[in-house]
Amino acid sequence: MSGQTNLQEQSREERFLREKFSDFYSRAPITVRSLEKREFGFGGWDKKIEFRHISETSEPNLRARLVRDAPLYVSHSVAYYEFPDARPMTKKNWLSSDLIFDLDADGSACGNKCGKFTCQKCLDAVKQDAIKLIEEFLVPDFGFSRDEMSVNFSGSRGYHVHVFSESVAQLDREARREIADYIGGVGLDFGRLFWNEGKKFLGPSPTQGGFGGKFARAFVSKLSDDSFAISIARKLKKPEERAKLISAIERGNYDNVGIANREKKLFDNFEKMRLTMAGRIDSNVTADTSKLIRMQNSLHGGSGMLAKSVKSLDSFEPMRQAPVFGNTPLKIKASEAVPALNICDYSFGPIPAGETRELPVHSAVYLLCKKAAALA
Amino acid sequence: MADLAFCAHYPFSSAAKKYVSERGLELTSLLLEKAEDRVRDAISSGKIRKVPKLAESQEEELALYAISRMIVSSANNRYLINRYAVAEGKKTSDYLSGEDSGREDYLSEAASEFGMVFESAGKAGKYLVPLAKYLQYTPRSVDYKLSNREVSAGKVIVNRHERNRIIEEAVKKKMENELPIRGEFTPEVKEAAKRLLALLPKLEAPVLRLGQENYPPCIVKLLEELSMNINLPHTARVALGIYLIKAGMADAKIVELFRSAPDFSEKTTAYQIAHLRAKGYSMPACSTMDSYGICMADCRCGTPLNFRAGLHGKRLTHESEGRK
Ligand SMILES: [Zn+2]
Repeated sequence: MSGQTNLQEQSREERFLREKFSDFYSRAPITVRSLEKREFGFGGWDKKIEFRHISETSEPNLRARLVRDAPLYVSHSVAYYEFPDARPMTKKNWLSSDLIFDLDADGSACGNKCGKFTCQKCLDAVKQDAIKLIEEFLVPDFGFSRDEMSVNFSGSRGYHVHVFSESVAQLDREARREIADYIGGVGLDFGRLFWNEGKKFLGPSPTQGGFGGKFARAFVSKLSDDSFAISIARKLKKPEERAKLISAIERGNYDNVGIANREKKLFDNFEKMRLTMAGRIDSNVTADTSKLIRMQNSLHGGSGMLAKSVKSLDSFEPMRQAPVFGNTPLKIKASEAVPALNICDYSFGPIPAGETRELPVHSAVYLLCKKAAALA
Repeated sequence: MADLAFCAHYPFSSAAKKYVSERGLELTSLLLEKAEDRVRDAISSGKIRKVPKLAESQEEELALYAISRMIVSSANNRYLINRYAVAEGKKTSDYLSGEDSGREDYLSEAASEFGMVFESAGKAGKYLVPLAKYLQYTPRSVDYKLSNREVSAGKVIVNRHERNRIIEEAVKKKMENELPIRGEFTPEVKEAAKRLLALLPKLEAPVLRLGQENYPPCIVKLLEELSMNINLPHTARVALGIYLIKAGMADAKIVELFRSAPDFSEKTTAYQIAHLRAKGYSMPACSTMDSYGICMADCRCGTPLNFRAGLHGKRLTHESEGRK
């Protein structure tokens, strides 16, 4: 009753998808921690969140709602509240929040060619970003263990990392913003990492934590490249001079070989390496202690794919593992030009606008959810 | 066995509490007078006098601490509580960096009150702080920007001074959270509280000067909290600053409003307001205000700016442009 738009207003496509979703939720695993303390939000054909401030008392009740209303999007708060359905927010009585990292493909990997049909290149790039976030920040720097972390595909074009660590559950918005800033390298200042001491030029060593160490390691590894080494100082052409410099850097000394213009050179390299050292996350999501985030293992109404929990990012292939609707054939008519795609090892397209095709239902659902096709 | 010097220097500690509860506390008029002086010093100079190195004085300090808390609680004024909290924090760090600077045992015991352990970072004068504690107890300023810190395995490296500063902040926050303590206070305590309240700078309630009837409930609430000397979180300050700028208020006037914040710094505030204006930040939407926890009513106006526009049928932004 609450979550449904009037049936007459629903298009055939929406009705079809909602039936599919409802059927899926009747047997899907639900894996929300302490769901009775979360605020839920549900979305439909036009809006990802149409209804919010909803609480559920148990898994069977939540499932019953999902089966009955078949929302196209299911989100829950990253926060735990005493009264999750109270309004305004202050009345909910915030208890704590998971720490969340949201990564989204921004299209830069393919030069913004793929648009709404996120391409493999973009999906691969954002997966690498997620791996980097975990392997270069969350584990080594922040010390989170892998069992207090869970990763899921967003269901569309990115990944969410949830950290359940008690140690950070109470952090407020500003503390979380600081964590996000750290990952993005915001406020990173060359002048605070390097300093002149007499004739010496001192800086971070490769074993050091934080961005100092990240820079030192990257710099040392770049020195093995001849043209890079020569760009720092001509005499570094000689392997023994290079070895001498590297062993000095290991002690935090960046110049024992006489580098002309050393401060400027290091500064320029530091600035150039800023972006590659930093992680790429949506910091507003991390800072938001009351954010509604897609429920893990729920369906994404913009793709029909699963926001699947991922055990091993390395081997995860979203276009193969996130669709759930099988391969019964279904006829659809493209309402716009559809590029060549590959879903669950089934290649199809390009499909010119206006043409009809029979596709496996997983691919048909994908196009219907993208609003790029209608039922034929 | 209780170390009396430790208890006197760190009267918020469990050891000190235990000492007092075992000895009991007698509320004599002399102690009351001294405690009133102690609080007065705290709010006027931001400092609490050093305790003479005598057992009687140390024992007395424990009583004065307890009575100070009663007086401050009886006054039940946010500005007074927050000023007092600042001074107790300062007292702690003054001891840690001064008289007790050699007492690592004191430091560990004080830190353990806040669940903190400062391991050595393996270099002289460098210590490891757990990330969450670092974020909780350091100011959000460029000096403490996490990006420039050595962060490894969930620990941040700080120097001696920063370590003491973290404990100072933890003590301050503890006081802010604990006070006022509830209870029925004696007439003498109440009288002392009244005298201290009379000393407070007569803070005109700025809200009333502003014609706040035009302001949305969230902004009114922020202004009220500000006038009650409550420390607003950063997000709330920014929202309020943007609102007042959009409402056409001059920078200097906005800075004056923030003067009642317990940690007010004219220079910082002026800089921040000028920055907000220069960057032309837009007003956070109601949904954003709500997610900050500062939405006060379900007025469904989209943005706090529309609340006023709805009442007067003209857009606030135009009005402010017109006033320039
Ligand atoms: Zn792409």
